[in-house]
This record gives sequence, structure tokens and C-alpha cells, in this order.
Amino acid sequence: MQKERKTFTDSRFYPVLFMIILTVIFVGILATFYHRTSERVQSYRKFKLHATILKLFDLPKNGDSFVLSQDEVEELFTKHIVVDSLNVSTEKDPTYVQYEKYYKLVDGEKILGYAFPLVGSGLWGTIEAIISVSPDFKTIRHFEIITQNETPGLGGRIDEKWFKDQFIGKQIVRDNSVVRFQLIPEEETPAPEQINQITGATASSGAIVKILHDQYLKKTQALGHTYE
Amino acid sequence: MSKKDIFVTAAFTENSVWRQILGICSTLAVTNLMKNSLVMGLGVTFVLAFSNFTISMIRQYTPKNVRMMAQTLIIASFVIIVDIFLKAFMPDMSKALGPYVGLIITNCIIMGRAEAFAAKNTPVDSFVDGIGAGVGYTFVLLLISFVRELTGFGTIFGGQVMGDWWTNWSIMVMAPSAFFMLAILIWIINGSKAKAGGK
Repeated sequence: MQKERKTFTDSRFYPVLFMIILTVIFVGILATFYHRTSERVQSYRKFKLHATILKLFDLPKNGDSFVLSQDEVEELFTKHIVVDSLNVSTEKDPTYVQYEKYYKLVDGEKILGYAFPLVGSGLWGTIEAIISVSPDFKTIRHFEIITQNETPGLGGRIDEKWFKDQFIGKQIVRDNSVVRFQLIPEEETPAPEQINQITGATASSGAIVKILHDQYLKKTQALGHTYE
Repeated sequence: MSKKDIFVTAAFTENSVWRQILGICSTLAVTNLMKNSLVMGLGVTFVLAFSNFTISMIRQYTPKNVRMMAQTLIIASFVIIVDIFLKAFMPDMSKALGPYVGLIITNCIIMGRAEAFAAKNTPVDSFVDGIGAGVGYTFVLLLISFVRELTGFGTIFGGQVMGDWWTNWSIMVMAPSAFFMLAILIWIINGSKAKAGGK
């Protein structure tokens, strides 16, 4: 019986070669597409962060920083905001030095307020938020969410205006300790140290309160504050 | 089969959700808001159409033993393209959908159509089949999210519809209601088909 002649496509190397070529083509397409758009994505992120920081300090006066153009946001930001960094290294490993950014609202030499980015775990992923406080570090000016991956319609509601605006004017430092806000049902009227939680999203509401307390404590301690 | 027949079969006669019970995870996850459902549906339709087209184009050269690996690579690439596109050009939508975009990769409708149709048919027919399956999936998503958003939030596409007298049904926003809604939908459609003498 004559042996059937094998072609290259029947050889054991063909599938390997096929996958290598296919991978190179598709990874190439993705890398090009990513590279072409990355500048746009980065500049949008920076614009959003800067617009949020302006909003945290009520800038522009009687206006909304999110309706401004990218250039207008950058101009206002450079004029009023100073970016500084603090060392938040943990005591466990003194050799590990980690610097994190924070923001100051300035008028000449005078500091009118501070803003601290806060990062922590939510129910499904990392929550990035930012808080602005009065120059004495005691009163919250504004609270904003930058990124979150909570359940849309449930935990995702932490990004709703009514939820974030509850923190405005609240005392975050009382009797020389950082306040850990207490959660109460959505329809009840909150006392000064209470926050209305989102119905059906206790975990996400709780995560916000925890992040706010833990991160604010850590960041202000890094600036030299001591609490009881 | 004409292009129209391919489309109608993929979208309705052999609908991926109510006939083949595929793509259930995302159907349960995103259907509490109509806006999220629509963008998810459009994303899946885009990935279905183009991955079907590409898989069909290279079907004669694809070795049988690595075909699923190749299909996954192609599908994942198109999903990442959608993700990057949304981040760069529709950042607010990208933020609203969060992790769901990446999860399109795990949607079994896409792999299902690649195996059942694209691996055996011409690129243009496969493209039409992809669009059809995507439209069928989007249709189911919108149908379920319409009821869930209306009863759970009192809104349609974010616009208030119900008056002050309406009390939102919290259960409709949560995952269990999606199970009930999907089961009722499958029951109604398959029940009416059985009554009409179909299978």
C-alpha cells in the first residue's frame, strides 16, 4: 500500500506556527490601537482629575468645572492649586518609601484648603475617591468618587450626588480623633456623625465610610497630625 | 439560505437566549438599566459580527486541534478593541459599564456562533449571522431591562416615567429578579410557540 503523502499543514509544527502568526498579527493590531489612543486616554484622565479637584474647591466661582474646556481647567488648576506629596511609608517596613500626592488650594502664601486622594477596597474592586477639607483639617468641604466598580444601580449609587453631598460640612475630626461615620437607613434624618446608606448596598456604603476614616487618618498622620 | 433568512434565524427563530439558553450571565447582570443593556448589546453585536467574519475568513487554514484557541484569541482581541475605543472616545460610557465590557469575552454566544456558524460558512454570511445573533441578544436585554428599570427605578433610559405615587420595587434592581424575568420570558415565548404547533 502506498503511503499517503503528508503536506506541511498535516505536520505537528503547523498548528504552532499558525498560532504564533495569528498571535503576532492580533497583538500587533491591539498594540498599535492602544498606542494611538493612550495619549488621548491619559489626557482625559488628567483633565477629569483636575476638573474634580477644582470642583472640590468650588472653582470656578458660581460655575461648573466639568463644562470648562481642557485648557480652561488647566489654567485654573495651575493658578490656584499646588500639588505636594507626603510620605505614607508603613512602620512595618521603614525601608519602603512611598510618596502620595495631595493638593493645596492657595491664594498667594495663604492655604485655603486641602484635598486628599483616598483609595480602598469596595465590594467588587478598588474605589478611588477624593476629599477636600478646611485649612484646619477638621471640616469636609466636598467628597467625590473618581473610579469605582460597584454593582450598577446598587453599590454604583455611591457616585450619586445626594450620597456624596451628605459629607459636605461634616466634622471629620472631633475631640482630636478622626470620625468614623455611622450608617443609618436611607429615609432617616442623619445626626452630625451619621450618613444615609444606600438601600440594598450596605457593603458599598460601608466601604466608603471605612475608606474615608482609614485613609484620612493615614494621610493626616503622614503630615504630622497626632490623634488620641 | 438568503441573507435575510440567516439574520431572522439567528436573531429570532434560533435566538441565543430563549432558544439556546446562552449568554445568561450577562443577561442577568446588566439588565437593571436600559442604557447599560443597550451599550452591552451593541458591544456584543460588534464583537459577534467581526469575530464571525474573521474566523470564517481563516477557517480553511485553521488547524482543527487549535481552532478554539484561535477563536478565543480573535474574540478577546475584538473585545479589547471595544474597551479601548470606549475609554478613548466615550469615557463616560466606559465608566458606566465598568467591568462588563471585559466580560464580553466570556459571553458564550460569541464562541457558540463561531463554532456553529462561522467555522462552516462564508465570511459575509457569518457577518450577517453575527449581526442577527447580536440583535436577538440586544432585543432580549432591552425587553428584560425595560420591565426591571420601570418597576425598580420608575424610569426608562434614565428618564422619570412613574409619578410620586410609585414605590420602587428594590427586588427588581437586584439579581434574583433577573432570574424570574428571564424564566417568565422563556416560558411565554416557548409556550406560545408550542401552542402554535412549533417545537
